[in-house]
Amino acid sequence: MRDSRKIVLDQIRNSLKSGVLPTARASVPPREVAVNTDYAAMSQTFQRDMEAVGAKIHRPVNSFAAVDLVVDLIQELGGNEILAWDDAELPLTGLPYALHKAGIRRVDQHVPADDAGRKQKLAALGEVRVGLTGASAGLADTGSLAMISSAARPRLASLLPLTHIALLPINRLYPTMASFFAAHPVLTQDASNLVFISGPSRTADIEMTLTVGVHGPKYIHVVLCP
Amino acid sequence: MTNVTFYERVEDALNNEQLHVALNRTTARLGGLRTTAFASLPEAEAVRDRARMIRAHTISKLADYLEQFAANLEQCGGYVHFAADAAEANQIVLALAKQYQVKTVVKGKSMVSEEMHLNHEFEHLGITVWESDLGERIVQEAGEMPSHIIAPAIHYTREQVGDLLHKKLNIPLSHDPAVIVGHVREKLRQEFLVADMGITGVNFAVAETGTIALVENEGNGRLTSTAPRVHVALMGIERIVPTLDDLSVVLQVLARSATGQKLSVYTNLLTGPRRSPEADGPEALHVVIVDNGRSKVLGTELAEILYCIRCGACLNACPVYQQIGGHAYGSVYPGPVGAVLTPGLKGIEPWADLPHASSLCGACKEVCPVRIDIPRMLLKLREEGHEKGLAPAWVKMGLPVYRFVATKPALFKWAIKLSGMGARLLASAQGKGGWLTKLPPPLSGWTQHRDFPPFAAKSFSQQFKEMSE
Repeated sequence: MRDSRKIVLDQIRNSLKSGVLPTARASVPPREVAVNTDYAAMSQTFQRDMEAVGAKIHRPVNSFAAVDLVVDLIQELGGNEILAWDDAELPLTGLPYALHKAGIRRVDQHVPADDAGRKQKLAALGEVRVGLTGASAGLADTGSLAMISSAARPRLASLLPLTHIALLPINRLYPTMASFFAAHPVLTQDASNLVFISGPSRTADIEMTLTVGVHGPKYIHVVLCP
Repeated sequence: MTNVTFYERVEDALNNEQLHVALNRTTARLGGLRTTAFASLPEAEAVRDRARMIRAHTISKLADYLEQFAANLEQCGGYVHFAADAAEANQIVLALAKQYQVKTVVKGKSMVSEEMHLNHEFEHLGITVWESDLGERIVQEAGEMPSHIIAPAIHYTREQVGDLLHKKLNIPLSHDPAVIVGHVREKLRQEFLVADMGITGVNFAVAETGTIALVENEGNGRLTSTAPRVHVALMGIERIVPTLDDLSVVLQVLARSATGQKLSVYTNLLTGPRRSPEADGPEALHVVIVDNGRSKVLGTELAEILYCIRCGACLNACPVYQQIGGHAYGSVYPGPVGAVLTPGLKGIEPWADLPHASSLCGACKEVCPVRIDIPRMLLKLREEGHEKGLAPAWVKMGLPVYRFVATKPALFKWAIKLSGMGARLLASAQGKGGWLTKLPPPLSGWTQHRDFPPFAAKSFSQQFKEMSE
């Protein structure tokens, strides 16, 4: 069999001998990455940027108020079924019990590996209107939520439903994406998927007219947990 | 490529009123959004410098970084394939479709797949391909090529989009983008959830971790790389950065340059397929690394074009693109970047006219987030075209005449005087405030779609002489 990997890499190495590469240096010097623990200030920036792209930010005064707020939100949206991260991944103690008491049921989200089972499960998950997740981090300078996948943190909870409610503890804010990476050096080794979400899904493909709610959530609620 | 010449395509574009409406509405808006977005970035110029440094360094060690990336992705359970050209890339993808018994494919945006004409290949095998990016879907349903690397359907008005999708997707007729998008969501959701294979492009691959980064706004890229059981990602050999920190730098300038956003709505970082305990995600991930002419470009004076991060800012800033749109360029990559990349990848022979589709004003270099010197390379290509006898006739004939006149001061002065007089005479006959609306051949091309400005009453050399006296 033809070894295309070798052919392509050899061709590249050969070309590098004659190619003109202006300003190419032997290495990129390391840089200082900003550290910030002023969570109050970062939460202001985060809120401004998130609201600028059309997300709604809530700042409940304490965790009791936060639990009530989330339950009310879900009931307002008319859902008694939700896609959600596991209890241990929702950073509000008391929320699982409150959901249970309000009759809000979590749909089982484990997608089977076989083809038929997979499609059947996806079709069922696609019907659910509200997704409830925690957040692995928030980025202040862009107004973004970071979601790291795992068995207890399904990707689809923040993707399929029309409304996504995310619970973000304020002490998980980072000033920039670079500072988040620096604080979690083995991030990509632990999970197959990390996504940064900066507002509701949108398009401007028709005459640059901004339109929200394309294939992901149309409404995003971020609850900043104290 | 079609048999239609570049100049015929330009002629069509300039006569297309609808295209001008669409281009005017969009390119200026994108340019303005970019300016605002960079104003919000502290030390923006330093970030651009660093982004350029990263790209230049990476390309200078490209083979090493590709090897590192492949090894790390394989360690995480992903498969890596190399393809020397488009035909081989198609073979690889079609073999995968067969191996996984694929009947339907949902596709995110991928410029490499356009180079491969992949959709066409799938259709031959009777496999259905659904484009999921709204702009790509519009051009797919219209049976066309994208006209902009970021906004593929930039040449369409809302009325045209509404009519087309009503007819082709069988959704209710509307000319309101919000209503159209709502219907498209319903329609395409079914496709995402039943497709067997998802195909996407790659914005950047990260060598140190084996991660691919995919940025998008609609959520179609996220669904395409999550719902189907197999995910195939197509990338050009140059689409790589060394570290996650480097990725964070290039992402700071990518969305700002492309759409004026601080960050795209979804920045997906994918490191291998679903790990066994994870709740969802694809069962298999294949990354196809495509050369298709790039390594040839790497060995030339055009290698700098491989620093490109595909933001599309140079298209919006280009006064030529603003007038003729993307299709007139006749290849997958339009605009200033395409005028260098296309002849570089495919050879100068049929593409010698593209480097001339520029006034060398330098707007592309100015907006480029990694400061690629596009005008330098356009000149290089013009030179190459001229050496091979491929320069346009007016250059071939005109330059020797100009040289003959310009190297004889007395003759030059006389010629300037004569053309000034002639121009003023013509202008007074045409009566449009000194502007010339029609020049005689061989200069008639200039005034076909624009007016020629009035000559000054006194020539520069005349004024200079008077001032020095």
